[in-house]
This record gives sequence, C-alpha cells and structure tokens, in this order.
Amino acid sequence: MVEGLNSPNIHTPKTLSEYGNIMLHNTNTSLWAGGTYIMTRPDVYPSRATGTDNIIYLGEIEELHRFQRNDRVAEFGAMVPLYQMATSGKGVLPKILVSNIESIGCSIITRRATIGGALCTPDMTTSIPGTLIALSSNVEMKIVKKKRLHSRWAPISRLVDKNGRFQLPPKALLSRVRIAINQPSYQKFFCTKDFMSKPEDSVAIAFVADWEQDILQNARLVITLPKSGICFSRDIDNIFTALRFPLEDSEYDSIYNVLFAFISSSFQISPLQKAIIRSFVGTVVEELNRKALTMPISEN
Amino acid sequence: MKIECTIDGKRLSFSLNSNKPLSLVLQENCDYTTINAHCRGKNCGLCLVLLDNMPVLSCMVPAFEIHGKTITTFESFLRIKYFNRKLNDIEKAYEDLGIRPCDDCYTSRTILFDYLTDIIIAKNNEQPSFDSGAEPFNVESLVKEMSIIKCTCMDLHDVRQILNRIRIIREKRIGRRS
Ligand SMILES: Cc1cc2nc3c(=O)[nH]c(=O)nc-3n(C[C@H](O)[C@H](O)[C@H](O)COP(=O)(O)OP(=O)(O)OC[C@H]3O[C@@H](n4cnc5c(N)ncnc54)[C@H](O)[C@@H]3O)c2cc1C
Ligand code: FES
Repeated sequence: MVEGLNSPNIHTPKTLSEYGNIMLHNTNTSLWAGGTYIMTRPDVYPSRATGTDNIIYLGEIEELHRFQRNDRVAEFGAMVPLYQMATSGKGVLPKILVSNIESIGCSIITRRATIGGALCTPDMTTSIPGTLIALSSNVEMKIVKKKRLHSRWAPISRLVDKNGRFQLPPKALLSRVRIAINQPSYQKFFCTKDFMSKPEDSVAIAFVADWEQDILQNARLVITLPKSGICFSRDIDNIFTALRFPLEDSEYDSIYNVLFAFISSSFQISPLQKAIIRSFVGTVVEELNRKALTMPISEN
Repeated sequence: MKIECTIDGKRLSFSLNSNKPLSLVLQENCDYTTINAHCRGKNCGLCLVLLDNMPVLSCMVPAFEIHGKTITTFESFLRIKYFNRKLNDIEKAYEDLGIRPCDDCYTSRTILFDYLTDIIIAKNNEQPSFDSGAEPFNVESLVKEMSIIKCTCMDLHDVRQILNRIRIIREKRIGRRS
C-alpha cells in the first residue's frame, strides 16, 4: 500500500470560469475526463510520474455536458460520453461517426469515455480524430492567457502536428466539438478489432466523398495508425477527387501505389496494416464501380 | 484524501490516495477476495463491479470518483437478499444448462449476465408487442457487450443460452411474486 505518497489534489470545477481560476493558481495540472485512457496506463498508480500535483476533474462542469444542434451542425461538449453521442445523434450524425463509436467496444467503456478524451489521448491516437477530420469538424479550445480564459475555434485537421498527432496548444482545454450534419453521399468507415490493445497492427480508415453522376467530388481519406498517428493530405484527396468510375484495374493499382508511397514516406507501417489499407481501397473502388455500372442509363 | 462511500450496503470512510483504482481499494483497503485482478491496462475485464448500479471496470475508477457513491461487488450477491435472489436465478441457469464460467471470470461474468438480463427484461416490458422469447440484443451487440471480459472459457453460443435461460427463470420468479 502506498497511501499518502504522490496523492494528487483533486479540483472539481463546476463552471468554465472556475476552471480558469484553478488553472491560474495551480501549476502541474492534468485534466481528467472519463479516465478510461488514463487509468489503463501501466504507471498510473502508484504514480511514478514526477508530474501531476493537481488533477482537474472535468465531469462536474455543466457546460461540457451540453449537446445542441441546428439544421447544419451538431455541437457536443467535451464531456459528452461517446455512448450518448451515438445514441442521441444516431439519426443526425454522419453514419461513419456512429459506426466509429460503435466499433469502440462495449457500453461499459463508451458510457465513460468522452469525446474530449477520445481526441486528446497522448502517446496513442484513437480512431475518433481521423473520422472527425474526414468530416471537416472543428473544436473549441479554452486557453488561459494573460489571466483570462480565451476561446478559439479551429478545424481538427489544423491541430495535427507533423508527426500525425492531434495536439492542443499547451495548457488548453478542449471544450466543444462541432460536426456538420450534412451526410456526404458516399461514406465508409473501417476499423480493426482490438484497435487499442494491438496498436502496431491496427488501422482505422474514414473515407467520405460526394458522388455526382459517376464522378467523385470532395473526397477525403483519413487513415489512423494508433502508434504512428493520423495520415491525411490534400494530395491524397486529390487522387480520388474528380475520378470517373468505373475504374480499370491499372487505374486502381496506380491509385494504390501513389497512396502507399505517400503513407510510407511519413509513417511506419506494418505489413498487416498495409494489407488492410489495400483491401479497404479495393472495397471502395469495387463499390463505386458497381454503383457506376448500375446507374440508370439516363443518368449516365 | 478522505473518501466516504457505501460498499455492499456498508457506509465506509477511508483516507486514500486520490487516484488509487477502486479495484485496489477493494483488495487492499477492504480485504475483498472476490476481486483479485489488477491487470494494469490489459483490459482483462475481471474487475467488474456496479457503481451506482451501473457496471464499471473497477480498475478504471479512481478513488476520488467513488466519494458519495454506492458500490456493489459480488459480495452483495452472496450476502444481501435482493442480490442473492438474482444470483440464485443465474446459478439455476448455469445448473440447468451445465455450463458455468471458469473460476477466473465467474464473478465478473455473473455480474454482467445479471445486468444484461435486466436490460433484456426491461426492453421486453417497454415493448409489449415484442415477442418475449426474442432477443432484443442482436448477435453483434451481444458480442460487443460480452467482449469486455477477455476470458475465453465461454463462446457466444453459451452466452446466448445462459442469458435466455436466466431471463426465463427471472421472469417466472418476478411473475410469481407479483
Ligand atoms: C477497453 C478499451 C477498449 C478501447 N477500444 C478502443 C477502440 O476500439 N477504438 C478506439 O478508438 N479507442 C478505443 N479505446 C480508447 C478510448 O477511445 C479512450 O480511452 C477514450 O476515448 C478516452 O476518453 P476518456 O474520456 O476516458 O479520457 P481520459 O482517459 O480521461 O483522458 C485521456 C487524455 O485526454 C486528456 N483530456 C481529456 N479530456 C480533455 C479535454 N476536454 N481537453 C483537453 N484534454 C483532455 C486527458 O488529460 C488525458 O491525457 C478503448 C479503451 C478501452 C479502455
Ligand atoms: S483488472 Fe480491470 S480490466 Fe483487468
């Protein structure tokens, strides 16, 4: 038993302004949401980290539990559990986001894990940020600067560093996530099982595009490798955008080669991850080929 | 940090490290023998308890979060009448089918079976037109809910049979009582 050693102070602000005050008056703080990631780190207790003296538990800040929507966007407070997002947003949110949440284990985990925590896990990337990037979502951050709490919105894609990690500015709190609720006409999500327990071989892939006649527009492909990071680029999206279907086998091969050259230039990738990505792209091309070939003649 | 909570019907007060996992509080501060797992993030699922009546993995709940809350461990199923009746339903189902979880996952799986059966019965009651013999959990969601316990002593077929059997036994018991 190690009672008394390294017992961090727990702060439980009820409002964002209380949170701001705590940040102003304390150093060495760390944020705590659902705890599902923090508590599964092998050294969480007894804490060998020299770091945290102060834990700020976000669960009692009412503003962070809010969910609102209009006919264009849905906004979730950072403390909304993934389970609640998937159930209350089922008819509203883009299908790939709901499938992504449903791919994360059982409700015992998703009732605790929050959208804020799913975005901010350090060291390892969950499957959620990639899907939100594909959906061009934005986040609101709260940052204490010059003794005041400032707010800033930014697209999630802008907060991914050059190593492919979602990274908030130092000492920032993620307070809200804004997701457009218009459904792209083609959406596909895939995630391997055991995404977090076998990270070296896991992949999550989100793909969205608008399907106009037999041409893809506004394509967005985001690949998440939990250990290496999130891989996306305008160059990749351009490979798919304006493609006319059906594609020949040789066209598919060249797409795959360009895509793969891009991924391996910046990320470490295992043979299994490579095979999974190949099969995903193959399935997308096959589905779109079929869609193009079965379109009524008048549309062609 | 001073923490007050109710564990298996007893009001307790502790002085604890604020981020100590509940699984360790139960083992080290309460001498509970029905939880002996602490897998340090391997997600074995063998530390299941109820926190304010909702199942949680106790190794993921820090001590500061249990302040003022009610924790129900498997000990309640052995000692408290209400839970003991529920355990009898489950034990009877194990016996009828000749299938039971192994010693490692027995307590966690039994708590999970109990929780899932109550959901199934509640869903059946919500939708009176629903054929009470049908399963409101499709296979996919059952696999997902049971996947929290990594022990491989039971397959999906066993799980479905057991859940169905517990449901029948429990509905009969509740029906008799009312
Ligand atoms: C058994 C199990 C299975 C899992 N399976 C999957 C899976 O299949 N796919 C997948 O993608 N993920 C999976 N996960 C990971 C899961 O998605 C994360 O653990 C979860 O989303 C983290 O959310 P949380 O609220 O618990 O965060 P916490 O654990 O509380 O926090 C995580 C990190 O984020 C920081 N943080 C939290 N909230 C904020 C905020 N608002 N602003 C700034 N920083 C913040 C914390 O300081 C901490 O560093 C699994 C986890 C478990 C335990
Ligand atoms: S001890 Fe809790 S999941 Fe293994």
